Amino acid sequence: MFKNEELEINLGPQHPSTHGVLRVKLRLDGETIVKCTPIVGYLHRGVEKICENKTFFQGQVWTDRMDYVAAVSNNLGWAESVEKLFGIHVPRRAHYVRTMMTELNRISSHLLWLGTHALDIGAMTVFLYAFREREQILDCFESFCGARLTTTAFRIGGLREDIPPGFIKQVQAFQDRFLDCIDEYETLLTENRIWKRRTIGIAPINADECIAFGVTGPVLRAAGVKYDVRKAFPYAAYAEMNFEIPTRTEADTYARYLVRLEEFRQSHHIIQQCIDGLPEGNVMAKIPKVLKSEVNEIYHPIEAPKGELGYYLVGEKGGQNPYRFHVRGPSFVNLQALPQMTEGRLLADVIAAIGTLDVVLGEVDR
Amino acid sequence: MSILKKLLPLDIASGMKLTGKYFGRNFLQANRSKKHIHITVEYPETPISIAPRFRGRLQMLRDEQGEIKCVCCLACEKICPTQVITISKGKKEGRKTPFPTRYDFEMERCIFCEFCVESCGFDSIILNHQFELAAYNREDFSIGMEGQFQDMFRVSPVGQHSISSTKNPDSPDYT
Ligand code: SF4
Ligand code: SF4
Repeated sequence: MFKNEELEINLGPQHPSTHGVLRVKLRLDGETIVKCTPIVGYLHRGVEKICENKTFFQGQVWTDRMDYVAAVSNNLGWAESVEKLFGIHVPRRAHYVRTMMTELNRISSHLLWLGTHALDIGAMTVFLYAFREREQILDCFESFCGARLTTTAFRIGGLREDIPPGFIKQVQAFQDRFLDCIDEYETLLTENRIWKRRTIGIAPINADECIAFGVTGPVLRAAGVKYDVRKAFPYAAYAEMNFEIPTRTEADTYARYLVRLEEFRQSHHIIQQCIDGLPEGNVMAKIPKVLKSEVNEIYHPIEAPKGELGYYLVGEKGGQNPYRFHVRGPSFVNLQALPQMTEGRLLADVIAAIGTLDVVLGEVDR
Repeated sequence: MSILKKLLPLDIASGMKLTGKYFGRNFLQANRSKKHIHITVEYPETPISIAPRFRGRLQMLRDEQGEIKCVCCLACEKICPTQVITISKGKKEGRKTPFPTRYDFEMERCIFCEFCVESCGFDSIILNHQFELAAYNREDFSIGMEGQFQDMFRVSPVGQHSISSTKNPDSPDYT
């Protein structure tokens, strides 16, 4: 089984660069990786099963705790899936606010990714700059819904309350300085020779392999496939938004970095459109106090910061809770590409590969 | 040109210039300028500003006569996703509506989702602005109608700072 020189080591589960409790079993020949096996499940809580025992209203709080970096996106997915299951129509203003919050969340998730990924690879400064902006976004979340990470931001049928007074001003203050901040990250990284050496050509995965593994999100787009759920199956207010899907063709870590930086700009653009075009009106649809489902099943995908996040819900007759609930988590699916990206390459690149996949272990394990 | 570019670390120099700019600005202006340029605060000494909608600890309210507002409709107990609220219904002399003889709240399992407050049709509970929720014993997290240090109406002494740094939850402009 082992050749003479081969050595098996564990990366993780308690390793700062694995962003949680990810264990990667690596078989090494010198510094070259012969085999890479990600082992997941250390954070398993059985979210799907728990949600099957909770009502449709209660289920939302568990989605917060899957991808805790992008809780608002998860909330949006849950709220929209349940609305789809029951055929509830959400007011237009609520759609706009939801879109705005989700895009803010995309920026904050990418900021966390940028900071920690750069930190893993060896650029300390970007981390501090990225968290400075992330703090401002979390402040916006706090004024909108009262929590910073586990937001429980939306309600089935719309929003709990309208946006607080002064909220638009707060988001606009962020908007006004964020484009300059992106330029700052670019100054620190894009042309930096050390950063380029550590990222160009590292952890490649081409478009066919991405599709075969089911990889979505920025990793897929960096391989040249123009797929984004926001455009392919528009939800919330994305059909009315004007934005581009950034793609690259190099399919390496550097390309993914550039794609995500461009997504910052696109998200910024979408938020601006939401602010400018925010319609008046109420934010909550009329929904019954108790939701009782019919026999029905739906799959609702949304574009979470990490890729396609899909919720599959089955309703039974008169049931107040889902009969079956399944999550197609982007982190979990993307993580499968890790062996493909690292085998036959150097040990130091595993850290870059885990970083560039942008996995959150709360969602991988669920 | 490209050789020159390779030899001179201009890319790194531009990054250094940026970090140097911030270092210089913070170093020179730190305590002098009136403008608030810090990202961080010196926490216990400097109070933190909390958003009005902040979700902190569950607290029960009394009305103007000092009566407990809760009428034991059990809506909050039912909606709570983690089932941390336990209520016992009772009667009190001179009060028409039911009266909670017991209202237990196990804070260590509360996830601060605010579903209970939303479901209450009588505005008898709020999530206040207390975020310093530490305690020395596990029992201190089980909060009831009566308690030595804190109960459903009083917050823990540990949390006085976070309460004092925000608006008074009893005042009418509280949202
Ligand atoms: S905030 Fe949520 S978890 Fe806490 S008591 Fe209220 S409903 Fe239960
Ligand atoms: S919902 Fe309000 S009134 Fe009803 S039991 Fe809870 S606190 Fe009391």
